[in-house]
Amino acid sequence: MAAPILTASGVSKRFGPVQALQNVAFHVAPGEVHALLGINGAGKSTFIKILSGIIQKDGGQITVGGEEVHFRTPEDAIRAGIATVQQHPELVPDMTGLDNIFLGRESARRGLFSRIDQRGLERRAKALLSRFPVALDLTLEVGRMSAVEREAVAILQAIAGENTRVLILDEPTSTLTDIEREDLFALMGLLKAQGIAIIYITHQLEEVFAIADSFSIFRNGTCVARMTVDEAKAGRVSLADLMLGEAIGDIFPPRAATAPGDAVLEVGALCLQGDFDGISLTARKGEVLGIFGLVGSGCDELAKAIFGVTPPDSGTLRLRGQVVRLTSPRAALDAGVFLVPGDRRTEGLVLSRAALFNVPLANLRRAAAGRWSLRRRRMQGDARALTGDVALHPPSLTTPASGFSGGNQQKIVLAKGLYSQADVYIFVEPTVGVDIGARAKIYALMRQLSRDAAVIVISSDCDEVHGVADRTLALHKGRQVEPVSGVFSRDALLMAGIMGEVAQ
Amino acid sequence: MTMTMTKPAESHRHRTRRRLSRLITNLWLVAALVVLTALIASQRPQLLDPGNVVAVLKSFSIMVMMVLGLTWVIAAGKIDVSFMQVAALSNMLCAWGLSQGWGWWPAIGAGLAAGLAVGLLNGWLVAVMRLPALIVTISTAGLCASLAAALGKGTVIRIATPGPVASLLEPQLGGAVPLIVLPVLALAALAWFVQERLSMGRYIYAMAQNETAVRSVGIPVVGLTLLLFVFSAVCAALAGVILAENLASGQPMIGGPYLINGLTVVLLGGMMVHVGKPNILGTLTATLFIGVLFSGAALLGLPDYQRQIIQGALLLTGLVVAMLAARHHGERRKGG
Amino acid sequence: MSGFQDNMRQSARGVGFLALVIAVGAALAIAEPRFLSSASLNGIARHMAANGLAALGLTFVVIVRRFDLSLPGVAAFAGMSMGAVIAAGAPLWVAVAAGIAIGAAIGMVSGVAISRFGLPDIVTTIAVGSICAGMAFLYTGGRSIFQNFFQVGITDLNDARLMGLGVSLWILLAIYAVAWFVMHRTRTGVAFYATGENPVAAHFSGIATKRYVALAYVLCGVCTALAVLLILAESGNAETNKGANLMMPAYAGVFLGAAILGGTSVLATLGGILLITMLLDGFALMGVPYYYSDGMISLILLAGVLAFSDTARGWLASFGIRRAFRRSAPGEKG
Repeated sequence: MAAPILTASGVSKRFGPVQALQNVAFHVAPGEVHALLGINGAGKSTFIKILSGIIQKDGGQITVGGEEVHFRTPEDAIRAGIATVQQHPELVPDMTGLDNIFLGRESARRGLFSRIDQRGLERRAKALLSRFPVALDLTLEVGRMSAVEREAVAILQAIAGENTRVLILDEPTSTLTDIEREDLFALMGLLKAQGIAIIYITHQLEEVFAIADSFSIFRNGTCVARMTVDEAKAGRVSLADLMLGEAIGDIFPPRAATAPGDAVLEVGALCLQGDFDGISLTARKGEVLGIFGLVGSGCDELAKAIFGVTPPDSGTLRLRGQVVRLTSPRAALDAGVFLVPGDRRTEGLVLSRAALFNVPLANLRRAAAGRWSLRRRRMQGDARALTGDVALHPPSLTTPASGFSGGNQQKIVLAKGLYSQADVYIFVEPTVGVDIGARAKIYALMRQLSRDAAVIVISSDCDEVHGVADRTLALHKGRQVEPVSGVFSRDALLMAGIMGEVAQ
Repeated sequence: MTMTMTKPAESHRHRTRRRLSRLITNLWLVAALVVLTALIASQRPQLLDPGNVVAVLKSFSIMVMMVLGLTWVIAAGKIDVSFMQVAALSNMLCAWGLSQGWGWWPAIGAGLAAGLAVGLLNGWLVAVMRLPALIVTISTAGLCASLAAALGKGTVIRIATPGPVASLLEPQLGGAVPLIVLPVLALAALAWFVQERLSMGRYIYAMAQNETAVRSVGIPVVGLTLLLFVFSAVCAALAGVILAENLASGQPMIGGPYLINGLTVVLLGGMMVHVGKPNILGTLTATLFIGVLFSGAALLGLPDYQRQIIQGALLLTGLVVAMLAARHHGERRKGG
Repeated sequence: MSGFQDNMRQSARGVGFLALVIAVGAALAIAEPRFLSSASLNGIARHMAANGLAALGLTFVVIVRRFDLSLPGVAAFAGMSMGAVIAAGAPLWVAVAAGIAIGAAIGMVSGVAISRFGLPDIVTTIAVGSICAGMAFLYTGGRSIFQNFFQVGITDLNDARLMGLGVSLWILLAIYAVAWFVMHRTRTGVAFYATGENPVAAHFSGIATKRYVALAYVLCGVCTALAVLLILAESGNAETNKGANLMMPAYAGVFLGAAILGGTSVLATLGGILLITMLLDGFALMGVPYYYSDGMISLILLAGVLAFSDTARGWLASFGIRRAFRRSAPGEKG
């Protein structure tokens, strides 16, 4: 491969008493797609922030195109040809894709009082699209675009202005469906063909083999391994083991040994116009029911319909044999249904508050023991016990939830669920943005919950659904797909969710 | 494939269609204005007497001056509730300066300088110190009101000699138009140009939707916010100076009623041209609408407090309509 | 362990606040010795009662992260209504009940418009306030109401004493005690705070967030009516401008208290309003003209929120490493 466009050596960074990065060596060549792997806290984000000029390194050397650089601001990095697309790209929803791409660069002279030449913008967009032929309607408002189209707009925005040599993508696929992911990979292929080096952060290990040429693994603030995908394949290297630093077994707990118990939740012909139609399923005590569906398949909507957020148009819900109508989360919680929502930061937690506030939130009646005033000591004891059960780290009841990693935030939501003492637990996308160590713990907790309650796991990660559930079905464009007989194999489940077909 | 290919020609047609529908959304408030004028004139023909038209246009000019900057502040997703007290302060400062024998130009300069200072303070506190705009401007409003009252020790200051703006307030052009309308409209036209054709206009609306996005592409959001608050305060200060000339006095309590008037015209105006977004042309139309409505109400003999009730109700109605329009817009978006 | 630190920080703020109150009191007493006279202290207690009730109402609204600018309008209409009821010869409790009902009804209108129909809070409450201010003129066309005020005993609320303290102060303390218990010791309070800090998560936790937003406005309306009741008791008549001076101290009390004591709460508001009322009365005693009062409160409010804002604290702490560490703790993300 060509000479590296970007190199780093001996880079270190300290935050107070914590050595976040130590002696990191790194390089990436033009046209190389390089994956950056590591569990939360391994130092990936810190390293990326240094590369994109958001924070400054304490020591070490970074070169771009052979020249040493010192970035003080993000603008410095952009000027040097390093463009970054954040995990959740910030775009203006009411403006078109075109206007978003050139936002702030409408005319040659930057500033507040430059004349906007819409024709010229369209010309520049055309030139950009001819360099990177993405099939994308740039006259559409961003608010009406799909997740991958927004990601494409964000990437085009990042590379449009300057002469970009390195593009950093921070977990771009975490909100994408499998099909959208292919679109994104196609775009990455175009960039690669133009000689742009791509640094790509992901938690999805299989993506590394699908798209990357090489990868680096971060652990405890340093880069512990760098190899090409071919080398990894040849050597049968386990990426998960490298990330955790020790050989780990299967992250999924063993399946239920005993036969499932009574039906707790029975869903009959549930229908919500435009989202899903004719869904019938039964969740039993003692087993984990898995539902696999891509974004847009109606999975999230189904969970919210059962939980009473958006009540269904028709169909029946039975809990322990009794027909119930759940028209609000309050009603669902009272009936014994708990939802671990897909977007834990907005739907699951009050981020500004600590575990002590969040854990009892969905069952304040228990916190008050039937009275109006809270039994504070008992509430604190329960919260401490439950955060211990879910292995919250650090085990603080008073640190705001915003101060925890994604995995530990999810554990707080789980503790909140445990406190609610529900009979049915519905998990939506339970491990998005959760590192592999916390994932294993969350799966084990699901299994544990299933002993006394019915557990439904809904996810767009086929391996997760197949790995954790005893019984699976797929949702495809709002319709359920079930195996003809027995249970789905992993591949059959994937086919069912993506194509809507049952493999014979 | 989830991404779709569209021919450029289609985007052109799309745009012309959008322009057409934009024209229709432009028209409704203008149509309402015409209907309202006709209705009132049929009951009270005096509405269209030259003397009354002059009065309406004069208060129109002052009101437009007062809320020109406010329009953009609200369009950018911020709020300024100090503008009317800035006008009161500038009005009093001007009158007080005259009473000290400064002469008109220094007095006007002092009024405008006060506006500039308050605008800078508002802008600095909101943009740089990141304090909530309502708390900041509610405080500077209190400050300005106190200073305005203190200048006259709580009472009115009379102005003896007419100043340079006086001739602009006299009826001209057939006795029905005060010339002050012309510079005010010219300024509004300039603002319209900035809003529609320059990058600043685009950034104002983008800021209301996603400030982080605007900030992250390197647009000077702090400077823009500062500029918006300064512009708002300076416009209001100018209105205060015109008021001094118009009333031949400095009135410390003049600010009060302009708060609700200003918000009403900006939000009512935000329901045309760019629906849901306050804009200059909408503000102009809505100001004229309110001016005719109030003039008519006075001719019909409604007492002051009834007008206040009508105005509050109108503002509430406007809010409901705007919200319904936005919801409709959102549903269409979801469907399409 | 960090809970201990948290408590430490909280009590440090409390001690700092007490020191501030003592310092301000001492400064005012030095500047004007009459400040510590019993007449002056009684005046502070009375004014604090009216200001404190209005500020408490605003506290509920600010906890659910909204604003209410209808205070003066609501106060005017509720005040004139109570005056009209008294003038009609009804007993005091009927007038008070009418005032509370009107405050609650107006709060309900604003609250439902904002929570159920999603109207913007600032402009909606300005509009509602304007309508109310206009409706205050409906009874007398703007003339003062004073008939029956003496006979009905409303002035006792201002003059009567209980255990050496004015009745109005007892009313204030009783209402604050109830409010403190509800907001900080019951599930209702948790629901209020959750609604303000993350309405979506609160909704998913089974909290009827819209109801709490509406309830906050209802409580604000009721508190405003009670505040104006105390003002009527002090002046012995009802006028349309009686509530005009309630809003600025209320905002200053809520936000100054929150800035100094680290968050919006019932006690923070009580502290804020104590400080504000001390300063206002102290200045009045020193003969500072009435028209300076709004300006002074504004200055104090601005100085308070500025001094305790994140940005200012960031500047002060930018030399230390603690903050840098906290801002991007490695636990946040990989």
